[in-house]
Amino acid sequence: MKSLNLILAGVLLLISNLAAAVDDSAATSVVETLHASLLLAMNGGAQLGLQGRAELLAPVVESSFDFESICRIVTGRYWKSASDEQKARFTRAFKKLSVLTYASNFSSFAGEKFQTEGSAADHEALIVRTTLRPTAGEPVTLNYLLRPSNDSWRIMNVVAQGVSDLSLKRADYTAVIKTEGFDSLINRLEKKSAEMSKGP
Amino acid sequence: MTEFSALSRLLAATIVLLAAAGCASTDAAKTNGDPYENLNRKFYSFNDTLDKNFVEPVAKKYAQYTPNPVRNSITNFFDNTGYLNTIANDLFQGKMVQSAQDSGRFLVNSTIGIGGLFDPATSMGLKQHNEDLGQTFGKWGAKEGAYLMLPLMGPSSLRDAGSPVMSMFLNPLTYFASVVTIPAGVVSAVNTRANLLDATRIRDQAALDPYTFVREAWRQQREYDIYDGNPPGDGYEDYIEDQGDGAVLRVY
Repeated sequence: MKSLNLILAGVLLLISNLAAAVDDSAATSVVETLHASLLLAMNGGAQLGLQGRAELLAPVVESSFDFESICRIVTGRYWKSASDEQKARFTRAFKKLSVLTYASNFSSFAGEKFQTEGSAADHEALIVRTTLRPTAGEPVTLNYLLRPSNDSWRIMNVVAQGVSDLSLKRADYTAVIKTEGFDSLINRLEKKSAEMSKGP
Repeated sequence: MTEFSALSRLLAATIVLLAAAGCASTDAAKTNGDPYENLNRKFYSFNDTLDKNFVEPVAKKYAQYTPNPVRNSITNFFDNTGYLNTIANDLFQGKMVQSAQDSGRFLVNSTIGIGGLFDPATSMGLKQHNEDLGQTFGKWGAKEGAYLMLPLMGPSSLRDAGSPVMSMFLNPLTYFASVVTIPAGVVSAVNTRANLLDATRIRDQAALDPYTFVREAWRQQREYDIYDGNPPGDGYEDYIEDQGDGAVLRVY
């Protein structure tokens, strides 16, 4: 009986390891899909224009990131006290700005490569380590933190060369809410998007 | 030399002033590790005004008209003259192998690399390292102390404020006559600023409160440098816990 239990435990362990391996690749593919679409946008470059690149990227960005958690985290302790309408407006403005930021930063292609370096479990989250390699010069490390959300992996944070996007935004945004209020934060995000849409 | 020592005196005076002010500072949690925020913000806007109106436009022109190979050589040259500081801090941090490699790098680039204009050492496997006094203090266990925005020099902290002083003393260029040091200092500053154009473009694009944005980015960058790209710990709990303002969230 004891040995049967042992075998059973062994089988379960094997299955869970396999499941973890499968999950790993699912999470990695979320990041790689994002990277592939960024390369598409870069290749489309000037021909697509900013709006064209934004339209190309919007569905991928929206399905890759866990915006629900991100919006909660970047507004810190002010999220709880915001009204539903403010939360909805903020989420909309934040998503739009995220897409436009990608569209304006990944605007041309000069032989850059995205490379997946590996992944590691961190509690129930996964860290996918990647590098962005320009043809000349130092590679930039981009580490993604993904968490399971509604049966799929979603990106929670991007850490570029040790600088966490989430904590940077959180510090920045909460500083604005503290001095100017939640509505002002939303207005300023909307203004940023409007400025960015006009191009450089 | 005289210009540099005047600068170092100014710097030292600033540090002493701020350290004295630190005696009256309140607890770190309340002030976000930035007890001098009011003063820091004044210096930030002073630096920013100077930068936007003068330094950045010059750096942009410089970047526009200087061919990339020339810019790379200028960057290599100043990196190389500043490299004794890296080697010394390798030693302070007990990185004996790295200090030997970095000494090799300095010798190779100073000779075969024609006074540091070229970087043959990297292709020989002697990679560039980034060490300074602030990182050494960090390695020894010193915390940031207090965030400082230094006039003309930008973000720093009590832990890091000595770094430029040490690197100045260990830079051979410091000991040339002022006919050399002044133009060299100007070129170095413009070149450094030009290399930061991408970073400041991202700041201008993303930041709502640039002061806070720079402070957080600088802090995380320093942590990353101190631990040579592998900061310890595990910031994962931060994602689930409800944190106060400016809590640091990281993935290691």
